[in-house]
Amino acid sequence: MTLGPAALAAALCPALLPVAALGCTPPLQGRGVQAVEGRGFVVAWRAPAPLPLAEFFSLDFAACARDGRPFDTPRIDATMPEHGHGMNYRPRVESLGGGRFRASGLLLHMPGRWQLSVSLGSGVRGETLHAPLTVD
Amino acid sequence: MAAGADRSPRRPGPPLRALLATLLALPTLAAAALLDFSADERRQIASFGPWPVPVAADPSNRVSGKAEAIALGARLFFDARLSPIGYIACVTCHQPDRSWTDAKARAHGLADLPRNTPALANLRLARWYGWGGGADSLWMASLRPLLDAREFDSNAAAVARVYRRDPDLACRYRRAFGEAAVGRDADRETVLVNSAKALAAFQETLVTGRTPFDEFRDALARGDAASAGRYPLAAQQGLRLFIGRGQCIACHNGPNFSNGEFADVGVPYFIAPGRVDAGRHADLQALRASPYNRLGRHSDDRAGARATRQAALEPRHWGEFKVPSLRNVAVTAPYMHNGSLPTLRDVLRHYATLDEGRIHASRRPLLRALHLTEDEADALLAFLESLTDAQGAERPRPPSPPPCVP
Repeated sequence: MTLGPAALAAALCPALLPVAALGCTPPLQGRGVQAVEGRGFVVAWRAPAPLPLAEFFSLDFAACARDGRPFDTPRIDATMPEHGHGMNYRPRVESLGGGRFRASGLLLHMPGRWQLSVSLGSGVRGETLHAPLTVD
Repeated sequence: MAAGADRSPRRPGPPLRALLATLLALPTLAAAALLDFSADERRQIASFGPWPVPVAADPSNRVSGKAEAIALGARLFFDARLSPIGYIACVTCHQPDRSWTDAKARAHGLADLPRNTPALANLRLARWYGWGGGADSLWMASLRPLLDAREFDSNAAAVARVYRRDPDLACRYRRAFGEAAVGRDADRETVLVNSAKALAAFQETLVTGRTPFDEFRDALARGDAASAGRYPLAAQQGLRLFIGRGQCIACHNGPNFSNGEFADVGVPYFIAPGRVDAGRHADLQALRASPYNRLGRHSDDRAGARATRQAALEPRHWGEFKVPSLRNVAVTAPYMHNGSLPTLRDVLRHYATLDEGRIHASRRPLLRALHLTEDEADALLAFLESLTDAQGAERPRPPSPPPCVP
């Protein structure tokens, strides 16, 4: 079996997909939008490019639930998995309505590979989706 | 003249040809002294500038950048009457001819303190002040020593008394704040905090100038290899180590060579047997409990105090200290939060022989012993010394202002 480029990319990185390929569509699209798909939720975000180093920035993101049920405002965090530490600040997430959110007060204080984490839902429905961020 | 015709200038003889060739080759030779920095290295080098960085006024201090407040702050900075005992002033520890520090390992006011006196420069670029970030504004950082029993051991009444006894100072206060420092309507607590805000306004003017590194960085950014090549080769090699194998750039990044945050770099935090300096972990808690933080009633921008409001207190902050700027670092010895390393070479030796097991780190430690050769240490030193501006340790004193006219 020969995989096409999109399928190959999905096979290599199953969680990070173009928005159009997702089970439900988070209300955030356009240039620079990336998405990550989980068991019950899909999250799309647009990060500043380039990501600022050691300066506060905000991140707009959107989420949708596959089961269509409402969910509370997600929590967001970022860590450097290789070094085992996170940020020195707790970002705040405000709902912009319609499944759209803005996280403010993110500060990535070192260059390198970070991991964005978005926690959605609760109980058996809860899950945390991860996506890579790189600060040059 | 036949002989003259034989020495036609159109065809110079061998010695002249050699000289011309040398002269023509000079720009090439200069360019040849430039290391072959990769595109990624050039991007990293560019991130250390441009310098100076334009700064905005501090929104938590309504007199930040105001000339009248700067003049008042300059007077107060040198005024030992702010200490009830009468001989401690800001300048006691922050001396202009010593890069606004004191060259001592640890500070001493009325008593010994456990930390090194930080140099005062480019303070508007900081998010936190003090080795543990115990202040979230420069005015709070200026207030803390006034009230600390080990430093000034002062209070609002003592500061108000200074204005009562000095009409010129009281006049300057009125011009800076539009209200009286003395009299029935004057609130002593407000006068105390406003005095710290004036001190902050003055200290914001203490900036470092351009350095040989900045000239190199700008030349490299505009593709001027000839000018960039004038930067000493040893400094270039040190810079390559700084952004490469040394990973110094992980914390010492941006135009001020600091990410403004905190790190544990393996410097012991024992003050005395059984006593430790918990650094960021303790100071963030003290900051939160203080009525003088940016969330308190004295701040002129409570809504904008994002860093204070959102700062996280984590166990890993125990024993972390602020990442200092490296601008003018060569003239601010001794080093580290406790002043335990007398010279920059000692600092490099510390990183070269780091005890990795001592540092709090799960998974892959960021800091590793660098095992520097002597040549590598020399190169890093050359780079760090190139971050010194023309004034070096001798900083200009503020001029004496003319008498205040009410």
